[in-house]
Amino acid sequence: MNQLLFQTSWWVPVYGLAGALLTLPWSVGLVRRTGPRPAAYFNILMTILALVHSGLVLWAVWDLPPERLLVPWLSLPGFDIWLTFVTSRTSVGAVFVITGLSLLAQVFALGYLEKDWALARFYALMGFFEGAMTGIALSDSLFLSYALLEMLTLSTYLLVGFWYAQPLVVTAARDAFLTKRVGDLLLLMGVVTLSTLAGSLDFTHLDQWVKVANLSPLTATLLGLALLAGPTGKCAIFPLNLWLDEAMEGPNPASILRNSVVVACGAYVLIKLQPVLALSPIALNTLMILGAMTAVGASLVSIAQIDIKRTLSHSTSAYLGLVFLAVGTQQDEVALLFLLTHGIAKALLFMSIGSIILTTSTQDLTEMGGLASRMPATTSAFVVGSLATVGVLPLGCFWAMLAWSDGVWFKAPELIGILLVVNGLTAFNLTRVFGLVFWGKPQPKTRRAPEVMWLMALPMVFLTVLTLLLPLLFWRWQILPSWSEVNPILVGLLLLSGLLGCGLAGWIYLNPRITKPVSLVGKSVREVLAYDFCIDRLYKLSVVLGVVQGSRLTAWLDRYVVDGLVNFVGVASIFSGESLKYTISGQSRNYLLTLFVGVLLALTLLSWTHWGWSL
Amino acid sequence: MLSVLIWVPILGAVIIGCLPESMVATRSRQVALAVATGLLGWSLYLSSQFHLSEPGLQFQEGLPWIESLGLTYQLGVDGLSLPLVLINSLLSWLAIYSSDGQIHRPRFYYILLLILNGAVAGAFMSQNLLLFFLFFELELIPLYLVIAIWGGARRGYAAMKFLIYTAVSGVLILATFFGLSLLSGSSTFDYAVLQEHTLPLSTQLVLLITLLIGFGIKIPVVPLHTWLPDAHVEAPTPASVLLAGVLLKLGTYGMLRFGLQLFPEAWRVIAPGLATLAVVSVLYGSFAAIAQTDMKKIVAYSSVGHMGYILLAAAAATPLSLLGAIAQMISHGLISALLFLGVGAVYAKTGTRDINVLRGLLSPERGLPLIGSLMIVGAMASAGIPGMMGFVAEFIVYRSSFEVFPVQTLLSMVGTGLTAVYFLIMINKVFFGRLPDSLANLPRVRWHDRVPAMIVTVLIVFLGLQPSWMTRWSQTTAVALVEDRLNRSTTTFAEVRSVPSDPDWLSLQLTGSESPKRPIH
Repeated sequence: MNQLLFQTSWWVPVYGLAGALLTLPWSVGLVRRTGPRPAAYFNILMTILALVHSGLVLWAVWDLPPERLLVPWLSLPGFDIWLTFVTSRTSVGAVFVITGLSLLAQVFALGYLEKDWALARFYALMGFFEGAMTGIALSDSLFLSYALLEMLTLSTYLLVGFWYAQPLVVTAARDAFLTKRVGDLLLLMGVVTLSTLAGSLDFTHLDQWVKVANLSPLTATLLGLALLAGPTGKCAIFPLNLWLDEAMEGPNPASILRNSVVVACGAYVLIKLQPVLALSPIALNTLMILGAMTAVGASLVSIAQIDIKRTLSHSTSAYLGLVFLAVGTQQDEVALLFLLTHGIAKALLFMSIGSIILTTSTQDLTEMGGLASRMPATTSAFVVGSLATVGVLPLGCFWAMLAWSDGVWFKAPELIGILLVVNGLTAFNLTRVFGLVFWGKPQPKTRRAPEVMWLMALPMVFLTVLTLLLPLLFWRWQILPSWSEVNPILVGLLLLSGLLGCGLAGWIYLNPRITKPVSLVGKSVREVLAYDFCIDRLYKLSVVLGVVQGSRLTAWLDRYVVDGLVNFVGVASIFSGESLKYTISGQSRNYLLTLFVGVLLALTLLSWTHWGWSL
Repeated sequence: MLSVLIWVPILGAVIIGCLPESMVATRSRQVALAVATGLLGWSLYLSSQFHLSEPGLQFQEGLPWIESLGLTYQLGVDGLSLPLVLINSLLSWLAIYSSDGQIHRPRFYYILLLILNGAVAGAFMSQNLLLFFLFFELELIPLYLVIAIWGGARRGYAAMKFLIYTAVSGVLILATFFGLSLLSGSSTFDYAVLQEHTLPLSTQLVLLITLLIGFGIKIPVVPLHTWLPDAHVEAPTPASVLLAGVLLKLGTYGMLRFGLQLFPEAWRVIAPGLATLAVVSVLYGSFAAIAQTDMKKIVAYSSVGHMGYILLAAAAATPLSLLGAIAQMISHGLISALLFLGVGAVYAKTGTRDINVLRGLLSPERGLPLIGSLMIVGAMASAGIPGMMGFVAEFIVYRSSFEVFPVQTLLSMVGTGLTAVYFLIMINKVFFGRLPDSLANLPRVRWHDRVPAMIVTVLIVFLGLQPSWMTRWSQTTAVALVEDRLNRSTTTFAEVRSVPSDPDWLSLQLTGSESPKRPIH
């Protein structure tokens, strides 16, 4: 039984893909008579199957050591590609979490997208999404992971572009694809290089290889940076972070997954690549610097946003920055724990704001207020999600942050400052959002705001309960440190930073006497933050400029130089023919003269070269 | 067995030519389609009879023809030509199927398409240099006429440009063949015989460069490419499909078969130059594609870029890279066919291909949602998204070429990123957004418009997931080709150029340090 479960573990990604494929007739509009619902139900069924299957496998492999499953895929002369999967507690656990969140998001979407005509397409893309993510979780091969990351890029593009008739969506989808593509391209360069250098792309093999690898520092650095670029794009880390913000134009149920598990997929691959990155100190330092910059910068940016989805998406970037720091300090376990706790908390937050957006039909924080009494389930989901996101004692992220700071306590204590800043700023921001959305006086758009329908409320409440129970599960799994190991200073600092941020924001935003919007800082600072530190200008001045100028130059060359030359030759020959025809006079003496002069010229030329005369 | 692929289409053309006037309008298409179906079936049957482990030529046929000229009717296929023969049959079928039923002068049109099919098949199967040249030239005539008669507004210019360019290419190729035959002192143009001769390196170089310019026009390699965008833009959709899908492959096929195989030492000398030229082609084609506003021009320039990968892999000339080159030929053939079919459908329904005019065609009620979805698949496949065959082919090309030309490979990989840029621009402008009123009343899309693109899409995805079905035909041949080359070029192997086989060559080149030890493998 165990063997069977283990052997079939690679089916789990296939369920999602199969669901996506089999419902294609509905999604492309070939079947219209039944409406899109059957496709949605079928995809949900497939996700349930995946969830049950991965649950069973998880149960089976819980106490077993990691086992690898090799599926031959392509055998070429001198080069074989195997699709390797690994079934371990971590990988199957990740699959379980992904399928679970995917199921919740899909049920949520039944309510959220109830009247959308393209429901079937949405579900097909979600199935695709889920298949790719579970594949990454199970994969033990960089090749497979790369391929699936690219599929995630594609499905992100299609999901962000879901409402493609809206102008903002069009640019958002394009930017999401191209930004990630920049990362993917560099990653592909890294993959090709690594494949040539190491011979095999299995992570297990790579772990062995790095011990004996003898690369020149420059190769190692370039390789490390290339490999780093992929996860940087996927996790929305500076400088490839802007797509996540723009991706919020897509439908909310996809944002639930995108902000919780999709970004985590990038970090998951990064964790597996960490040994290779460690070959180069520069690459590792870059990883740390990017992580730290993103963590602090994105936290600041999120406070300046008035779009409810965007403010949370920036905080996702910030937390992924912390995960990057964890990977950089070689705390893989902590990074995974962080991904799990953050993922669940963020998913919950996004569900709650999904209900807010659907009910109020706006994403603008300044148009909201007073929802606390009207939407109790949503409010409690938001509160629990927020508490679990910032380090509040028994809830998820607290433990991750504690382990995180514990790990760097001796190695690099200055990093703890970053964690505290991020925690404080996030607490400030979440309290701010809470104050603006749930507190205060109702505004026109929030006056008639009933609680959402059961299809959305059910997954939301379920996830709320799960978030509350998560510490209990940690305790069962013995992940939590015993009291004697806990560093009381760190606990105090963590709680204090959260409390400080929360209290400050509470004093400002929960206080009816302070008029909103509040001007905490000068206008210029606020604008810089609201426009994400003007990163789009950075893109415009670097990559976009290069591509645009390159294409202009090439098009000019093509049109006027290459093609121009060809056309010139054509025109010149026609012209000479046309003009020469007027010399045809019909008088034979003229022809004879021409002939004579020509022969004379030719002879002169020949004798010139023959006798070696020179001028 | 192979002759069937040449003579049955010609026979079909004759039958169409003899149809009574009253039946021409309806029956020409049916006869052509029946012949194409038969040919497709026959090539599938041939591939089922093909021995995968046999490196040499199979199904050989030989008849003396004009012995005094050295021209014999020698046919045969190996793992290099068989996939191309298959693609030719498939795309010809699709081209005939997707042709407009109401086309004017149907008799002549279908006759030309069938002759084109036979000529291309003949070129891929010829084992005599002169015979190859005859087919290579024969293919030119029907395509010229198709563009010149059924083409767009500037068809005269485009067809003439195509004709002159390809004729020059033919002359250069013929000159090389004559030179090779004369200088090696043999009185034959038989491929197998000429392969045995070794010429001095300098002679080889002269001949090879002439030959490469000839095939370079056909491929096309920058800066010999300007005929292609014009020809594509003016050609009717089926001709574009055939042009991009099959005819360009004649150039790369010829380059591999005659350039690489007949001039092994000279190839080694100019390989770095070729690789650099490949990079130029890739980047030039991609950048030029970004600046275009005509959908067909975008796809045409993308062809220039993607054919560059084949050149790169050919320059590397390892077993894996030759396999990659063949795989890229097949994948480019199918993907560009899909893209051209999609563009053709858009043009047929909307009457324009200008990406600044078109908008919102993905709209489910009044737009072209299925065609749009298939175009997205094609664009993504072309941009090398995994799960489709473009990725597999490109990955093999990169992986194999990197061992020999790391810098050039990395540079040409930028091309995949740029591919994403121009196709995304196209898709975003044409298919996304709100459908404007001017496009709200499009003619109905029939199954006839969709089926060809759907068939190609299924193949692209299937071969992307199960690439061994694509690579297995050519594996043995690719290995044999390289081994054969090495055997024949041992004399000048070392002194000509040392191929960097050390995988850490990149670091060596970049740092100038001593070559580090090779890690575990």
